[in-house]
Amino acid sequence: MHKDFKLGKEDIHILKGIDLDIEQGEMVALLGPSGSGKSTFLNVLGGLVPPTSGDIMIRDYRISDMTENELCLFRREHLGFIFQSYNLISTMTAMENVALALTFAGVKKEIRQQRAQEALEVVGLVDRMGHKPSELSGGQQQRVSIARALVNHPEIILADEPTGNLDSKTSADIMEMITRLNREEKQTFVIVTHDPDTTKYCTKVIHMCDGLIEAEVNQ
Amino acid sequence: MKFRTILTIIGVVIGTASIIVMVSIGNGAQKSITDELSGIGSVTTLQVYQDLSSMGMTAMGGGKTDDKAILNDDAIKDLKKIDGVVAVTPVVNLSGGEIEVDREQYGVSLMGVDYAVLEDMRYVTTSGKKPGANDENSVILGKDVLTSFTYTGASTQLEASEVKPEDLIGQNITMTIKRTNANGEEEIKTQKLKVTGVLEATGGNEDYSIIADYHLVTDLNEWQTGRKANVKKQGYSQALVTVEDSSVVNDVTSEVEAMKFTVFSMQQILDSMGSVFQMLQILLGGIGGVALLVACIGIVNTMTMSIYERTKEIGIMKVIGASISDIRNMFIAESTMIGLIGGLVGIVISLVLSVLINLIAGLFIGGEGGVTISYITPGLVVFALFFSALVGLLSGVRPAIKAANLSSLDAIRSE
Repeated sequence: MHKDFKLGKEDIHILKGIDLDIEQGEMVALLGPSGSGKSTFLNVLGGLVPPTSGDIMIRDYRISDMTENELCLFRREHLGFIFQSYNLISTMTAMENVALALTFAGVKKEIRQQRAQEALEVVGLVDRMGHKPSELSGGQQQRVSIARALVNHPEIILADEPTGNLDSKTSADIMEMITRLNREEKQTFVIVTHDPDTTKYCTKVIHMCDGLIEAEVNQ
Repeated sequence: MKFRTILTIIGVVIGTASIIVMVSIGNGAQKSITDELSGIGSVTTLQVYQDLSSMGMTAMGGGKTDDKAILNDDAIKDLKKIDGVVAVTPVVNLSGGEIEVDREQYGVSLMGVDYAVLEDMRYVTTSGKKPGANDENSVILGKDVLTSFTYTGASTQLEASEVKPEDLIGQNITMTIKRTNANGEEEIKTQKLKVTGVLEATGGNEDYSIIADYHLVTDLNEWQTGRKANVKKQGYSQALVTVEDSSVVNDVTSEVEAMKFTVFSMQQILDSMGSVFQMLQILLGGIGGVALLVACIGIVNTMTMSIYERTKEIGIMKVIGASISDIRNMFIAESTMIGLIGGLVGIVISLVLSVLINLIAGLFIGGEGGVTISYITPGLVVFALFFSALVGLLSGVRPAIKAANLSSLDAIRSE
């Protein structure tokens, strides 16, 4: 994968020329202070915002050239998202939240429920699948959102501060789970974080500052 | 379901119900009037007049006799030749007769028709039978002959007699007519009439007349006026043309008009009333439609609010793979459901209202067998359901497009 782009918003250059390759199966941490452009980088990577210039290639797909609808379909097939604030739909149960991603992919209801249940099993929340987000703890909600990211079996999962709202014990649980998924499912993870503790689970750490890559450390 | 959504649905319910009830009242008026007019088979009878002057407008200058078609016996024969015509009879009227039944005096009119074709005419007797072709002195009574204007001393009023026309079947009644002779003296003639039957209601003059043979009526007329009728030159004032069925009415009408006679049929009235009632329904439906328009604005408002509230949700859905059309269809489906549910409930409510309106109207107006003020046709129900769903759908389009075009990142960040 090759990416090279700038993003300008009101002529403020947030990303000032990033060139980065990520191999399949890697677990990459994007580390940096706030304002360093790491979240923006992740959003551009996920096709949520277009780059001002440059290309993003994921496998053979040039996602920087895709229309919004193509991006939606691409995300549905290839990408999973995990957010700091979980972003679950509050009126739906854990099971429904996880199954929602499959609804848009046109999967039949029985298969949807079966796969949602499997995904919740992976994150260890099968016994809570009938609960709404408000009835779950922060760690549990984040596990539901991980299950949602997994349910399509995407090749790449993009996580924006997945442990940002969690205490250190729960954070460790979540990171261990992500590490296990990375090893077992061979999924590529790109994790934005400002917490150095998180980086110790990753195979590669990219230090970002002021819209540029400062250092790229394999570990 | 949100309270806000329920209120919006109530708006659609009111809109739909007001359209249905309004149109149903138009329907009801049309139905009761057309039923009244066409219920008795008189649709297949055409009234043919010599021309408009025979309807009492002789005074309007007379010089046009030259090209005037005369409704005489030759014309009657010609009328009979028209395709689809079953029977033609001249009509000769006599008014000012009186009969005495059970020591009460009743003013009567005679309507003379050709007994030779009486069997082929659409006259139906409710009891008794029609006179044969040669029963010159036999008559049929209109059903309201004895109910009509009865003379009770000085005042004239509508009053039902204790004697029913049916009671007179088989009896002879005596009719008296009067005339003033050249010396200013009143002369009286009596005529015995044998009642053979009572005519089913036609909704026309027959109800208040005694049907007799036109030869007899012509004779009585000649006595009353003291002049010999010159049918050949002056013609009959009216003829009745009976046709096969209602489908040929319009064809026969135009053929008779081509013979320069004036034709008057129930079909013409029904046709012209049809368009009047269509206008009435559009008008009433339009009034009801205003309520649905307001409901439509309500749906747009609710959907817009709902999208503001669910911006984050929309963002999440887009991030996890919902396409633009997924989001758009989701919101259009939602607003269509609001329209559809509102329409369904509105239909149920208007069905109940319709029954209530008819019940209450029945209490005030009376009449046997209930009153039809409001009449809901199946077509109206289907239209209302379709229309309310359409209103819901259209109301949802703009908000749904707005929702679908939200930037997923901005949406997911909103709270």
